Amino acid sequence: MFSVLGGLLAGAAALPLLPVARAQERATDGGADPNSGEPAPLNSGNPQDPGDPSKCDYWRYCAIDGSLCSCYGGTVNSCPPGTEMSPITWIGTCRNPADQRSYIISYNDCCGGVAWGRCQCQNNQGDRPVVRPQNNNEVTWCFGIQSQTYTCTVSVILGVALEQK
Amino acid sequence: MACRRILLTVALAGCALLGGAARAQSSAPAGVENPQLAWQHWTLNCQGCHRPDATGSAGTTPSLAGTAAKFLWVPGGREYLVRVPGVATSALSNADLAEVLNWLLWRFDADNLPSNFQPFTAAEIGGLRARPLRLEASQMRADLLSKAAGSARP
Repeated sequence: MFSVLGGLLAGAAALPLLPVARAQERATDGGADPNSGEPAPLNSGNPQDPGDPSKCDYWRYCAIDGSLCSCYGGTVNSCPPGTEMSPITWIGTCRNPADQRSYIISYNDCCGGVAWGRCQCQNNQGDRPVVRPQNNNEVTWCFGIQSQTYTCTVSVILGVALEQK
Repeated sequence: MACRRILLTVALAGCALLGGAARAQSSAPAGVENPQLAWQHWTLNCQGCHRPDATGSAGTTPSLAGTAAKFLWVPGGREYLVRVPGVATSALSNADLAEVLNWLLWRFDADNLPSNFQPFTAAEIGGLRARPLRLEASQMRADLLSKAAGSARP
């Protein structure tokens, strides 16, 4: 539980560090969503975190495979009521169109609720075959908690990734 | 496209040696050229199963915290650390794996590191990971830790 809390805090701490000026420049010069190629709308209420967290083309969902918790009464980084967040996760990276930097994102599954299967989102950047389960996002990551019934997935920022040379 | 989710209880047993939190590092440990990159490799390849504090989860993922370096106390333990499935079959290169192993031993179990510890090298990793453990890994782990419990830190 502490690890999840730590992840949430890390995610919360990372975003305010983003360069606001660059983000605004990108928004006006047509910074595109990495998934859809469309201009990223600024409807999250935070210009450093552009896009709509209830839509599959939101930048943090680039490596997700599952249902969006923001569609189930949760948010991009919190589980819906009545579900429990698994501390065992699949972790990937996504590029934020606001600053063009890659962020390390933990895709924690929320488990124990009703699995309606709505708001499915499958983007799979960095996904590897299930023979490498630690790098596979099709696995139901409901471990370390009571229920193994999958409900939805959140996207928690853990930190900024190093720039690849 | 329908999203097919796989319930894969057994698979996590193969996710060994890879959970973590970055902390301020005053100096790089031996065999770690870039601690920040080692942390990133740990986060992307290991932390998901082993948790940020490397304590793992009972029944699915072994703890590394306070445990990993004890394997170096007994014959066969050093080889086990590389041949365990999650390490041997990792997508990381031999050099990156050596750096992650050296980093995690220092980060999560420095108190148990032998005083004469020699860092893992890419060449050593390459030789050992060619013989990955399978289902025998769990029993081997138990045996090695049992022997380590009766040993003193070298």
